[in-house]
Amino acid sequence: MRLFFVPAFFLLTLWSRVCTAQESPFFVTYTHHMEEPGNLEIETWSTTGIPRNGQRFYFAPYMELEYGVTARWTSELYLESQSALGDSTVFTGWRLENRFRPLKREHRINPVLYLEYENVNEASRIQREIEGGGPDLTSRNALLTSEHAHELEGKLILSSNYHDWNISENFIITKSFSESEAVEFGYAFGAARPLARLASGENCRFCKENFSLGAEMYGGLGSTLDLTAQHTAHYLAPVISWAVGENSTLRFSPGFGLTHQSNPVLLRFGYSYEIQGFGSRVSRLFGRKP
Amino acid sequence: MKLLRLTGIVLLSAPLYAQNPGYQPDPGWRVPSEAASRPNPLGSKPETAAGGRKLFIRNCVECHGKDGSGMEKKHSADLQLPIVQQQSDGALFWKITNGNLSRGMPSFSKRPELQRWQIVLYLRTLKSATMP
Repeated sequence: MRLFFVPAFFLLTLWSRVCTAQESPFFVTYTHHMEEPGNLEIETWSTTGIPRNGQRFYFAPYMELEYGVTARWTSELYLESQSALGDSTVFTGWRLENRFRPLKREHRINPVLYLEYENVNEASRIQREIEGGGPDLTSRNALLTSEHAHELEGKLILSSNYHDWNISENFIITKSFSESEAVEFGYAFGAARPLARLASGENCRFCKENFSLGAEMYGGLGSTLDLTAQHTAHYLAPVISWAVGENSTLRFSPGFGLTHQSNPVLLRFGYSYEIQGFGSRVSRLFGRKP
Repeated sequence: MKLLRLTGIVLLSAPLYAQNPGYQPDPGWRVPSEAASRPNPLGSKPETAAGGRKLFIRNCVECHGKDGSGMEKKHSADLQLPIVQQQSDGALFWKITNGNLSRGMPSFSKRPELQRWQIVLYLRTLKSATMP
């Protein structure tokens, strides 16, 4: 067991340097829980695609900086890349997203509005969300990187807490700045809960309370030119998260492709580290009142 | 000698500087009466406060300080004050669950319900540490 964990930790920390907290285990589905104000979460993620015939094995790592601007507004920056076996390694672009929580109190269903600007190329494979038909999994990187996509993406996030379960639904709409491209749609649903309802008094790494389990389903719903769920990518994915320390969390999810446009298996790993009071520290650095 | 005295004064006054004794509650942060009357389901299990302490350290210390006395700079509540401690368990639970988003207090509804009650249980021990 240790033989597996040691190199895994080493690789993750080496690759990411710093990394977040005991948050939702989902990779794709967003909940209504925002980043605490003033905290910065540094996250490294990866999406690995196991290919079908005619597709290439690929590894798409990405980094995310998530900052709690206020208790109702979270902002995130993504930097992403991709490496395909027998092809090349390429930087695939960046994204800037903002989430706003319009209601002050907890309700049965809690809405969050999401707005993202994407400056990526068509080689992007992180699949943080799937819209339209899903990514092109067969063309070579040289061809895909020449096609840039400047897109605006909106999401309606609906999220509920019910008997310690979080149940969330995301509805996605994306519009490219290119006039020739249609408006694309997608979805993500998820349900998850912590393994333990009570926290033990001990500081333990392997306590049940440190683990959350669940499942999510996500996929594309075509576009205004062809609104369909048939010829698009869809995945069903169990998810698990483990709060390894006070501020860091590991996540894993094997996603199973449900259609021919999907990879048969998508393996996702995530490691995140939360810096509490980051905003105050920066303010102090510049001699300002936090 | 002067330097030593100065250091001593600074060290002794540090906790006072960190505290927020002048905390004034937000009058708009009202707890519905139904929520305020909820009893703590862990009331008969005081031993679970130990888990509450751990959760408090992970989630609350950043703004309320290790002893819960609040931080003036963050405008966070001094949880030892009678104005806080006199609130019912249900009221404190509701405030932890919903937060006060417009005043910077986040919602902790992502924590399981019993864990939020554990935090309430621990908050009560803050009172006994300072009040007769």
